[in-house]
Amino acid sequence: MTGAEFSGVDIDLLADYIGGALEGTPDESVVATLIAENPEWRAAYESLSGGVSLVRAELGRLEPEPMPADLAARLDGMFSAPTLTLVKGDAAAPAKPRSRSRRWVTPIAIAAGFIAFVGFGADYLAGRSGPQTDDTASSAAGSADLAQAPQILNTGTDYSRATLSAEPPQPLAAPAAPRSAGAFGESEAKEQDRSQIALADPALARLSGQAALQECFEAIERENLGGVIAVQTVDFARFDGASAVIVRFTASNGGWAWAVGADCGTRVAGADTLDKVPVP
Amino acid sequence: MTSGDLSPSDAELLRAHVEGDKEAFGELVRRHRERLWAVALRTIGDREEAADAVQDALLSAHRNAARFRGDSAVTTWLHRIVVNASLDRIRRRQAHPTVPLPDGSRSDDRPAGVEPAAPAVDHETSMVVRQALADLPADQRAAIVLVDIQGYPVAEAAEILDVAVGTIKSRCARGRARMALALGDLRGRDSGHVAGGNQDAAETVPSGPGAATPRPDRHERRDQR
Repeated sequence: MTGAEFSGVDIDLLADYIGGALEGTPDESVVATLIAENPEWRAAYESLSGGVSLVRAELGRLEPEPMPADLAARLDGMFSAPTLTLVKGDAAAPAKPRSRSRRWVTPIAIAAGFIAFVGFGADYLAGRSGPQTDDTASSAAGSADLAQAPQILNTGTDYSRATLSAEPPQPLAAPAAPRSAGAFGESEAKEQDRSQIALADPALARLSGQAALQECFEAIERENLGGVIAVQTVDFARFDGASAVIVRFTASNGGWAWAVGADCGTRVAGADTLDKVPVP
Repeated sequence: MTSGDLSPSDAELLRAHVEGDKEAFGELVRRHRERLWAVALRTIGDREEAADAVQDALLSAHRNAARFRGDSAVTTWLHRIVVNASLDRIRRRQAHPTVPLPDGSRSDDRPAGVEPAAPAVDHETSMVVRQALADLPADQRAAIVLVDIQGYPVAEAAEILDVAVGTIKSRCARGRARMALALGDLRGRDSGHVAGGNQDAAETVPSGPGAATPRPDRHERRDQR
């Protein structure tokens, strides 16, 4: 049975009849009549009925395939209560030479219950002026330059257009970033091999990855049309109730605060911009 | 939930998530992820794409949980999001066609190939069935995956796919018929009929005007809600 032998039969219509899709319609009796009176339709009906039964039986026998363990683990990580994992790096220790292709430096600071990345995106901070040297990396670990390094915050603040230009809330008793980064980095960061912050909002989990955040920055840079952007702060937060990342940056067209959605940096969504306002 | 079952229902978990319980959605995912995975895998036919579809869909569900109005079961809602994410990926593949392989076998609305098979008693038969399923149009494949493989009642499959019950019946019926034609050689081997192996049979199914005589002149009559 290939179908070719039933060239005079509308196989789709016959299939509908066999599958019960014509029940209660005028077509049901039309097809029934054709089967009763037309030998070709009758032969097709008998053959196809058997074939369909076989197909259903075979489909029912398909073995289920368990979800891959890595996907299950990924989902567990995304939808569990937030835990912190750290990026390999040590803000206090002398920086090692970095590969020319590495665009982000990843020491971490944590203070007063929020997460702060420092030195994350040094080339954006520096206007991507060239490959990072030991000297610049070392100075990034020092207190003076760290004051200007982009912070990655996880305040969960629900911004609106009216508040988007405001500075992200800072902890009242935050210790100096270099100290906290150093203390944390020496004890744990070296043991971690993979960068990801598990955030309070799993919808933004993808953007907690270094590569995804970089793609997000690049999408913003493309859409901003102001040349290279220098990122100042990144706040994993909300905007008008929706999960959002608030990116404050400067470029040749001035200072900006952009609220971008969880799909920022994806090919389909681009920057996934929710709103943007100029900032002084 | 029965009186002896102290675990929260799906609806209770979703409500808890909306109200800020950070564990609730994860528990919901753990309950249903295997079935969601199975639907995505069979619909897309590619493990990596299926994994991405499941992840995207669950992130979307997590984000939009507050919009769930309780008109359907939570599982139905989750399945709908996963199926839509899967179909979106198939459509995206159609919109951005890939370069055909040298054998020209790649079709952009169909999987590049059958996903690796799980151990089965009759591995060969299983592979042939999977390939025939993968060759179906995406809407027929999705309906068959839900009804014939996952065992959902037609009415629930209709709800998941957001189409009429008659449409699901028709998609399943036509998809099974295409598969039956494609599996003609298999049936011939099993029943003693003359083998008529035809992996291209789906394209031989008469479906256009004039393909058969006489017949009523409406095809997707069932495709209405």
